[in-house]
Amino acid sequence: MAKILVVEDDRDLNKAYCIILRHEGHEVITAFDGKEALAKVDEFEPDLILLDLLMPIMGGLEFLQSWSTADRKNVKVLIFTNMENSPEISEAYKLGASRCIIKSWTAPHNLARVVTETLKSGNGSPKAKRVKTPA
Amino acid sequence: MTDHSKLKPGQQKNIRESREADALFNSMGDGAITTDEFGRITRINKPALKMLGFSRTELIGQPFLKNVVAETLDGKVMGVIDRPITQAFLTGKPVLGKMLYRTKRGDLLPVDINVSPLMFDNKPVGAIEVFRDISLELEIDRMKSEFISLASHQLRTPLSAIKTYTHMLSDGYMGELNELQKSSLETIINASNRMNELISTLLNITRIESGTISVNLKTVDIDELLKEILPELTIMADGKAIRLNVKVHANGSIKIKTDSLIVKEVITNLISNAIKYTPDNGQVSLDIKPRTNDLLIEVKDTGWGIPENARDKVFTKFFRGSNIVKKETSGTGLGLYLVKGLLDALGGKIWFKSDEKKGTIFYISLPR
Repeated sequence: MAKILVVEDDRDLNKAYCIILRHEGHEVITAFDGKEALAKVDEFEPDLILLDLLMPIMGGLEFLQSWSTADRKNVKVLIFTNMENSPEISEAYKLGASRCIIKSWTAPHNLARVVTETLKSGNGSPKAKRVKTPA
Repeated sequence: MTDHSKLKPGQQKNIRESREADALFNSMGDGAITTDEFGRITRINKPALKMLGFSRTELIGQPFLKNVVAETLDGKVMGVIDRPITQAFLTGKPVLGKMLYRTKRGDLLPVDINVSPLMFDNKPVGAIEVFRDISLELEIDRMKSEFISLASHQLRTPLSAIKTYTHMLSDGYMGELNELQKSSLETIINASNRMNELISTLLNITRIESGTISVNLKTVDIDELLKEILPELTIMADGKAIRLNVKVHANGSIKIKTDSLIVKEVITNLISNAIKYTPDNGQVSLDIKPRTNDLLIEVKDTGWGIPENARDKVFTKFFRGSNIVKKETSGTGLGLYLVKGLLDALGGKIWFKSDEKKGTIFYISLPR
């Protein structure tokens, strides 16, 4: 099972995603904005980040811009947004997102399935590099 | 001052008429320019000079097309042959349009124009162009789009929570439920899906109309895409005892480079439309056929069909068939308009065959 960092500012949705993903056996921690995610990502070393785009303090795109590509290793980024067909999604792909899904169209069983598929897919980020972390 | 008292009555009449025409031309609120058969400016009124920033002496007698540069609304400089005034002169017919004029200061001014040829003995001898500044209208349009986009997004956040938690209850994440509880949750899910559809339609139409729709081409596995959209469509079909048949005509999986969100939206819209406009116990089928240069998607129903006299309006905004408005009251008439707009953005095509007694088949061609 994988380590997943859920970054979502809506507390109800954040809690729901945790329940669904923990139910699937994943180890999950949460952040409520990009800044909090940046503070947690290196220590937690997630396999996948479930990332909202529109958040206060620091949004998803800003998080991807600030998160050093050298630190990404093989971490997959799954964008979970309600801004369908928006320029922000194109931007997220450019910044290394693996896949994008629309929250209000995605039932819990689909979320669990998409997470599994994304974890199984090849290198998530085109910019991702395998870097040995210091002991 | 000229003494007109010695002129003959006919000449006096001509001068009076000419002055009246001048007064009329100059008192118009819109900009107006006339040209002769060589495209030289013969008259230009004050509003036109004010909008373009030139003085009368700078433009009178000068070639209009050379001195006043025009661009399309997406910023491409228009060639002489494409300019409405040339078209009106060549065809002898009025031409309407929206474009940008470059002012003397170098600014771009959005204008709505109306050009008519000036005819003499059935031959065009020049043209008159009337135009008005539409900067404010475009700004209001932009603000309206921004508002709809923001409002739609804000509406969706609580809706996502309603839908996610309802699904979680229904899927047993919070313990087992009895049949009555399950069917009640299904009603909530269906209602939230309908609201989600409406918000999605509004959001996408705003994006299409404001030219901000974003297309992300990635390799998409059609089987995977169908897995994501079919469960909810099956529930919708079951509600009307409609059989939903899905057939992918291929050995192995079909992978195409496309935008999965747009394709999902298009197929979902067409199938839910087919279910909505098919009587209970009917059939809806989805057939997917890979071809050399495209992917052909057919959505066929045994529904009420589209009346023959309305077939050219099917993809227009707010279209609803006269035969279904009383049978099915929940439609907005935006679905097919949206589907067409999304497919245009993707470089795809849509067309249909319909028979009021048998039903309708929509065909979609997606580039591979």
